[in-house]
Amino acid sequence: MSAKHEARLPLAFIQPGSEVRLAALGDEIDPLQREQLTAYGLAENRPLRVLQQRPMTVILADEVELALEHAVARHIWVEKDVANA
Amino acid sequence: MTLSASNAILLVGHPNVGKSVLFHRLTGAYVNVSNYPGTTVEVTRASARFDHQVALLDTPGVLALPSRSDDERATMRALLKESTRSLVQVGDAKNLRRTLTLTALLAELGVPMVLALNMHDEAAARGVTVDIAALGEELGMPVLATVATGGEGIGELTASLGQARAPQALLRYDAAIEDDIGQVSTWISRHAAHPHLAARGLAILYLGGDSEVADWLRETAGEQFAELAALRQAAASRAEGDLPTLLARERTEAADALAASVIQRAVKSSPLLSQRIGQYVVHPLWGIPILLGVLFAVYELVGVFGATTLVGLMEEDLFEGILNPAFTHFVTAAVDLPWLQELLVGQYGLWTMGMTYALALILPIVTTFFFAFGVLEDSGYLPRLTVIANRLFAMIGLNGRAVLPMVLGLGCVTMATLTTRILHSPRERLITIFLLALAIPCSAQLGVVLGMLGGVSFTAVLVWALAMVGVLLLAGFLAARLIPGRRIPLVTELPPMRLPILGNVLKKTGGRLKWYLIEVIPLFLLGTFIMYALDKTGALPAIIEAGEPLVTGWLGLPKEASAAFVMGFLRRDFGATGLFAMAHSLSPIQAVVGMITITLFIPCFASLMMMVKEQGAKTALLMVGLIVPFAFFIGGLFNIALRALWS
Repeated sequence: MSAKHEARLPLAFIQPGSEVRLAALGDEIDPLQREQLTAYGLAENRPLRVLQQRPMTVILADEVELALEHAVARHIWVEKDVANA
Repeated sequence: MTLSASNAILLVGHPNVGKSVLFHRLTGAYVNVSNYPGTTVEVTRASARFDHQVALLDTPGVLALPSRSDDERATMRALLKESTRSLVQVGDAKNLRRTLTLTALLAELGVPMVLALNMHDEAAARGVTVDIAALGEELGMPVLATVATGGEGIGELTASLGQARAPQALLRYDAAIEDDIGQVSTWISRHAAHPHLAARGLAILYLGGDSEVADWLRETAGEQFAELAALRQAAASRAEGDLPTLLARERTEAADALAASVIQRAVKSSPLLSQRIGQYVVHPLWGIPILLGVLFAVYELVGVFGATTLVGLMEEDLFEGILNPAFTHFVTAAVDLPWLQELLVGQYGLWTMGMTYALALILPIVTTFFFAFGVLEDSGYLPRLTVIANRLFAMIGLNGRAVLPMVLGLGCVTMATLTTRILHSPRERLITIFLLALAIPCSAQLGVVLGMLGGVSFTAVLVWALAMVGVLLLAGFLAARLIPGRRIPLVTELPPMRLPILGNVLKKTGGRLKWYLIEVIPLFLLGTFIMYALDKTGALPAIIEAGEPLVTGWLGLPKEASAAFVMGFLRRDFGATGLFAMAHSLSPIQAVVGMITITLFIPCFASLMMMVKEQGAKTALLMVGLIVPFAFFIGGLFNIALRALWS
């Protein structure tokens, strides 16, 4: 991992307003739902902006706003850019 | 009109990118167009405005191909079964990466294509500019910018259809995967060649696990299909990971690279107003007051303006004041046969009961409901409602997505039963259809209930509403535990909030009303005729007599209420209207018990048919077998409880 990156964190734990990069989709996510997330554009290294965490995780990926239940967001691993933190 | 089967143009694309609006622009035909994904649940066909010999097909939105969901399978079936002249891929200009990921697969099918980058006004507002000319050159096919809602670019799109070309492939897969694709496509060319789709495209879809393509190949190749299955098995075991995932990843990377070369992004200063409003609507603090405000506005429009003001004007002033006396006078003078007079304008007359119920009582209520629903769906509020409702729906084994058919069910349960196709698993669909059939009153019935119980007291309305919510949660809780399978967590796209376009909302309201009236008027007339026949043959008094222990003894209602339940077998709102008609002879407790029972009673005949279509006759009949005794059981319990508490 690059020195300018912090350790991987679950997306569900990221503060609203933060910019992060997607690191990996965890194996705990149902394979069909993982395909769905990939289709929404959640690919490795893609920048994401966290808009809110309650009642669900809401993110902006490119110009697409996605709402994810915490059960899914807990298994999406992201890296927080130190420069943006 | 007969449309040439070998001359079809298919509109394909992701959900909520404006395919249906574009379809309307190109054909004049209107399908339900909404600002939420999954509106088009079936393929819609119409002849093109520019050439009546050309059939245009609007396909359900695909999140991705190979197909996984019902919507995606329906689109893939259309691709396999139609003799396609060309494809129009409709994409979201502000999300080019995703659009091109789908292009990367469609391009392999070898069908002439045009790419319409729609909503480019929204892209521009977000500082996203796409170099359309460069993209067209890279892909080797016409690419156009459109704004379907405003009609921009439609002329250019129509003109470009003549220049549609099979695009260049966006990528070469990894060498080992290419080797597998080559083997499978060679086999397909020899044993199961498709008349229009390229073998390479079918090979990629088959290796990616597309069940529709697999079914088509199995059907076409017959016994030799086992060889193809063995090739896929071998490819899967050679792959360094899950083969469908590897294929999808390579397409995504190719789309990313191409998108990056043609997109320019301006630095954004602050979120747009529509984005800020969208965030407030799902805000943990502000979301609930906004929801209550929306519900209040809908109640004012449907419950007060529709069910009180408009129904008053239509029923009392127009029908009872003018039309019914005039029609009765005309029939009495023109028809000599007393039985025919009675059939037309008697107590169970086709006009005085059937048409009056359908037009004077029901039409104003459903019109206002569908208008309100149209405004909400056009605004982009409904997908955000799924976020707010998610926690509540988790209690009944569903996720927030189920709120969409439930809310639509408050308009028409039949239509909502069809819309359950937007749900992702058979288990979610089964539970939602059961709950729709059991405890969701359609707008016509809701209007009658509010009209009747509103006249009793606010407490009566509250008891009825709590009973419905309680039954919904209890039945959902039990169903979620009895029906095998697990709950799928919610992942949903939140489309931008938009100011609803009045013309769009009115067209949509008109389309739904037409659908509703075509369904409701024949059934109301049939119901009235059955009531007339039962009355004339003496069967109705016998049924009333036979139902007395249940209706009078258990439910505590007057024995004449049995007639309303007979009517309710045809339509619940017809039955509720029957109870409404005898409101003056019911006590407050009887009114509440009667409305609780009839609301839980079996769904209308049309929605029963839709349940059969969606779940099969056995499951639908099992649901009815559970619902009817359950309705009487709960009604009786409330009769006992309310008498104990209120007396």
